[in-house]
Parts: sequence; C-alpha cells; structure tokens
Amino acid sequence: MLDSQVTSWINNYYKKNFKEKNFGYGGGKKFIPGKDPIRYAGRVFDQEELLKLVEASLDFWLTEGRFAEEFSVKIAEYLDVNNVMLTNSGSSANLLAFTALTSKRLGDRRLLAGDEVISVAAGFPATVTPIIQNGQIPVFVDIDLQTYNINIEMLERAISNKTKAIFVAHTLGNPFNLQAVMDLAKKHNLWLIEDNCDAFGSYYNERPTGTFGDISTMSFYPAHHITTGEGGAVVTNNEELAKIVRSFRDWGRDCYCNSGENNTCGKRFSQQFGTLPSGYDHKYVYSEIGYNLKMTDLQAAIGSAQMDKLNEFCRRRVENFHAYQEIFSPYSKYFIQPLATANSSPAWFAYIVTLNKNTAPFTRDQLVKHLNDHLIETRYMFAGNITRQPCFTEREQEIKYRIADHLDNTDYIMNNTFFLGVYPGLSAEMLDYVSKVLKDFITSF
Amino acid sequence: MPIIKKYSVKVSEIKNPLPDLYEVTFKSNDKSFSFLPGQFLHLALDPYSPSEPWPESRCFSIRGYGDEGNGDEGNQRQLRIIFSVKGSFTRRMQNEMKVGSTVTLKMPYGDLFSRPQLMSQIHTHSSIILLAGGTGITPFLSLFSSNQFSQYLSPTLYLGVKSKSHHIYGPELLLAQQKNPSLKTKILVETDEGGAGCDFERYSYERGPLDIKNIFSNHGPNSTYFISGPPSMIKNFRGYLLEQGLDPSKIITDDWQ
Repeated sequence: MLDSQVTSWINNYYKKNFKEKNFGYGGGKKFIPGKDPIRYAGRVFDQEELLKLVEASLDFWLTEGRFAEEFSVKIAEYLDVNNVMLTNSGSSANLLAFTALTSKRLGDRRLLAGDEVISVAAGFPATVTPIIQNGQIPVFVDIDLQTYNINIEMLERAISNKTKAIFVAHTLGNPFNLQAVMDLAKKHNLWLIEDNCDAFGSYYNERPTGTFGDISTMSFYPAHHITTGEGGAVVTNNEELAKIVRSFRDWGRDCYCNSGENNTCGKRFSQQFGTLPSGYDHKYVYSEIGYNLKMTDLQAAIGSAQMDKLNEFCRRRVENFHAYQEIFSPYSKYFIQPLATANSSPAWFAYIVTLNKNTAPFTRDQLVKHLNDHLIETRYMFAGNITRQPCFTEREQEIKYRIADHLDNTDYIMNNTFFLGVYPGLSAEMLDYVSKVLKDFITSF
Repeated sequence: MPIIKKYSVKVSEIKNPLPDLYEVTFKSNDKSFSFLPGQFLHLALDPYSPSEPWPESRCFSIRGYGDEGNGDEGNQRQLRIIFSVKGSFTRRMQNEMKVGSTVTLKMPYGDLFSRPQLMSQIHTHSSIILLAGGTGITPFLSLFSSNQFSQYLSPTLYLGVKSKSHHIYGPELLLAQQKNPSLKTKILVETDEGGAGCDFERYSYERGPLDIKNIFSNHGPNSTYFISGPPSMIKNFRGYLLEQGLDPSKIITDDWQ
C-alpha cells in the first residue's frame, strides 16, 4: 500500500496533468470543435491506474508478480473461467492460442503442416498470421455485410477433410454466430479459437464471448476495451491447453515456476526427460519450441485497475454506438449501417459503416478525407482483404491459402467501409460535432 | 491449472495425533480458498514480500477445507494439511508454527484427479484403485470430501499404516463411505502394536505391508492406479506396474522430492 503522502501527490498529479486535459470518461476538458481532434480510440483512465502503477514500480518486481495474479483473477471472475495466461500483446495471445494446437501432447488432434484452418480475410492480420507461421493453410471465408462476421453457409461449404480448426474474431465487438459455428466445430471435430481481442465485454446468449471456444484471446492495446499499454491474454477451461499455452509462452519449458520461484513441482531434480541425464534441472527442460511472451507486473497493475472500470467502459461504448446509429440514420439510403448479431449484446469496438455505392453520390475515400480534414479520426476495416496486402501478393509462391467460394463482400468492405471510434474518451459535444460535419458533407452533394 | 494465488494465513488449529505427525488448520486473512481434489500447495514460513523472490517453501497435499464434507464449496476460508516431521523444513514447522502464527501459502497446484488423459476413466469413474502409504492418504481424503467422489463407481482404497494406532483416518473414511457406498477399503497394518485409532471392525484389514503384486493380481491392467506415499513406495510400485506392461497413463502418482 502506498502511504497517504504519495497517494495524495499522485491524485493531484492526475488531476492537473490528465483529468483537465481529457474528454469523456473521467475528463473535464471542454471540447473545441475544429481544434481538438476526435480520436478513434485511446487510453481512458483515472488516478487509480497511476496509483497501481506506482505501487507496482515501487515493488520493483519486474516480471509477473502480485498484480499479474490480481489482474488474472479479475479476468477469470468476470468470464468465469479457470485459466488466464497473460501475454505481452493480443497478437502474442493469438500466436500462442494457435501454436498450442500444434503440440504433440494433443495426439491425433494436433495441427500438422498442411492442415486447413478456416478464417476470414476481412480482419486484423494477427488472426491469420499464426496460421501461416505454423505451416497450416488458411481458408478464407467471406463475411456478411452489416454484421461483418463470417458467413455461416459459406463456412460450412468451406470445410474439407483437411480442415482442423476455425480461428475467427468477433468483428469490432460484434459476436459471430457462435451457436452455428460451435455446431459446425462439434460436427466436424474442429478446434475453435475465439479471437476476442475486440470484444471483451460482449455477450452472446447472455454469456460472455471468449468462453465458448476451446480457447480464446484478448488484447489490451490502448485501442481496446481495457488497456495495459501492450498486453493480452489467452483464456481457456481446457487444462491441457492451458499447460501447453504456458509452456509455449515461457520459452517452451516444462517447468511452471513463476519468476523468482524454484521447485514448484517438488520434483526439480528427480525426473528424466528426453535423453537428458536423469535428474536434469527441471527449470531447464523444454517440451515445446517456445517463446518468451509474458507480461510484466507493471502492465498487469494497470490492467487490474482497468478491470474495475470495464462495465462502465462497455456501457459508454454501447451508448456512443447508438448515438452514431442516430447520426447516420437520416442518411441510411447512402449507408449500410451495422447490425448486432442475433442473440448478442456487443460491446462495440467501433462504429463501422459501409457506403451503399449504388446510391451514395460520394465515395468512401471522399467522406473519410473530409472527416479527417476536420480532425475526426477514422479507420478502414483493418486489412480489408488480407490476400491483397503486399505481405501476401509479394509472397505468392510461398504462402499457401485457399479462398472458399469468393470474397466479394470482403472486397466490397475493403473499398467502401470505414469505422469511427466509440471509446469512452468521447464526449457528447464531440459526437454532435461529427454529426454536423457529416451533415455538411452530405448536404453539399 | 486455476490461477495460482498467494495467501497470508494464520494457523488456527494444530493437532498432534501421533509423534511427529501434525494436522494443521489455516485461516485465510482475506481471500477464500479454492482447489480441486488432489491438489497441493506450497507453504513458506518466512515472510513473503512482493518485491522479493518467493521464500523457501515445501509442497503439501491439501487435505480439505476446514469443515468436513464441504470439499467443493467455493467460499471457504479454512484449509487443512497433514505433515510428518522428516527434514529440516518440517522440523522448523514443528518448532515455529503455533496457533496464531502467520505463514504464506501459494496454491493450488497439481492435477492428480483431473488430468485430461484420465477424463475417460474419470467420466466412467470406474476401476480406480487408490494406494496410500500412511500420510499419503491426504490427497485421497480431499477427493473423499468432495462432491465429485459420489460419481466414482466402486473405487478401492488400500491404506498401509505402521500400526493400528497410526490409522487416524476413521472419521474421514466413514464419511467417504457415506458419500459413496460403493467404496471398498482395505487397511494393511504392518504391526499389531498400539491401540486402535478407530473402529477396525468396520474395515477389511490384513497384517502386512501394501503388496503391489497382490493388488495388481486382484485388479489387473484395466484399472487406473493412484499411488501416494513415501518416494520409495511410489518408485517401487510404479516400477512393478510398468514391468507388468501397464500403460504409463494408468499410473498416477502424487510425489515430490
């Protein structure tokens, strides 16, 4: 615990240096249209994050420690799961979740080179790159306009006798049709990885996303629902997968001691592995080809404070999303507005909207330029169609993938979609300004 | 395994039923305990600081929550372990732990009854043979007090004790029998010395040590054998079962250095 003098100093520091400079949640600054930028995302915090971060830094425990425990427990309690493995990023979490499925410990169900994995091309690369990096073949399925999630009929047709897993994200917080995907995964004995990086706080059938598949991932990059700066987590109720993920995360080692601990298993010098000498130090026995992708306690301290705000953050995101629905609804003939998946309650990552190019007298790029010229940040739908990215086109001979049917909608959103932020750092005045700028643009045509 | 937590706990009770054998109850100062049957903890006597590496500690099987028969409750603040004084650390425990002492626990670890390769056996809950040498019965006691024990079909416990007076587990075995009437228990007693610690008439018992050859001939290669006890017992029993061609996945041990 920090002493009262330090606490008081930090509270004052926060008030002077952050509160009076921020908008939206916890902020007090007056928005000046045309002068203050409207970001699409960013860290949202108050003095609690600073207090915990200072406490962690004064521990000077530089790897996982008591705040990693505290943060993990909060995530586990929120999702009602058994295993939470913190990582240094959501992308690392994706890499670990997927790579775990290649472990020999999974026997016949392990993924082998050449196995197919169903995914989408309209998303963030970190959902696809682990597939390629591990030697499997991504099979890209098109998405539905409005939900921006994987098309279920096309998914079913895409499954072949080589398919071993499905690895898809809940796009921008909107859950994919979990019931249908789970049914297909069960029917065909496929692993299901839920990329929940953009959907922490979303619900499907009144149950949190990230709790349906065999394994799921989270991101705590500042744009996300909560932040640790860089950071992520892998979550699972499968004990075997949890062990495997920990191993891959921690250099591939068999030992599960935390930093600063020894002989947690009680058998440090009394086992025999591989063709190592009997009694070889268990701390240096490696059962997987792994990495070091752990989170530090400093990051976890921030995450722990952020978890106490998650519900409020999600509430504001939903509120801002609905505000944008109202802002765009007068122009609905020009736009395809987003739609929540049936039976879901998304904690939206962003407000995503697509031009109806048959009716809109302007292009997406014209509108996006106009918004950005007025300091309103926008983003395209991540990689658009990842197969058109240079990382693919410049490696045509090297990267094996398959397109199931076609990617017509993927190409359509690549050309016509953008999103605006809904993060809790927005204020009502900012949304009013966006509404005005949008109206001015559309009425000019 | 579930998230490992560190607990600052106070010793709330110490029982000393036999020379050099102690049963200790801890009470958590803040968090509730949560563990699965068969799991173990680390106990540190020296103060723990989050700024420093974890202090010297040892592993102990978790016997159960503070209240009997509430093994699966998720909101328990009391926990029990059993320890025998065998080395320098347990000697320190004997000398330093008093009622009211503060120690730090780190738990839970282990997957004795929840390993994935066991799941088919556990789901059928059949052909489970539990072999306990003395205080090695502790992880089985946590299973017996859990609600999941009632799902096991005809488990058999073989408990080896030095003498009748070393069989101090009568009340727990009685409760286990009530929870799962299909449980068969055989007590093997090395010597006749000492008074009865419990009602021996209730159990099938024999004079002599635990005999793995005999046990294997009774139950065969289709059973799963859980072995918990002194390291030499575990090593010898495991070695014998492997020599008989038993699949290693059917030999589950709870052992530390």
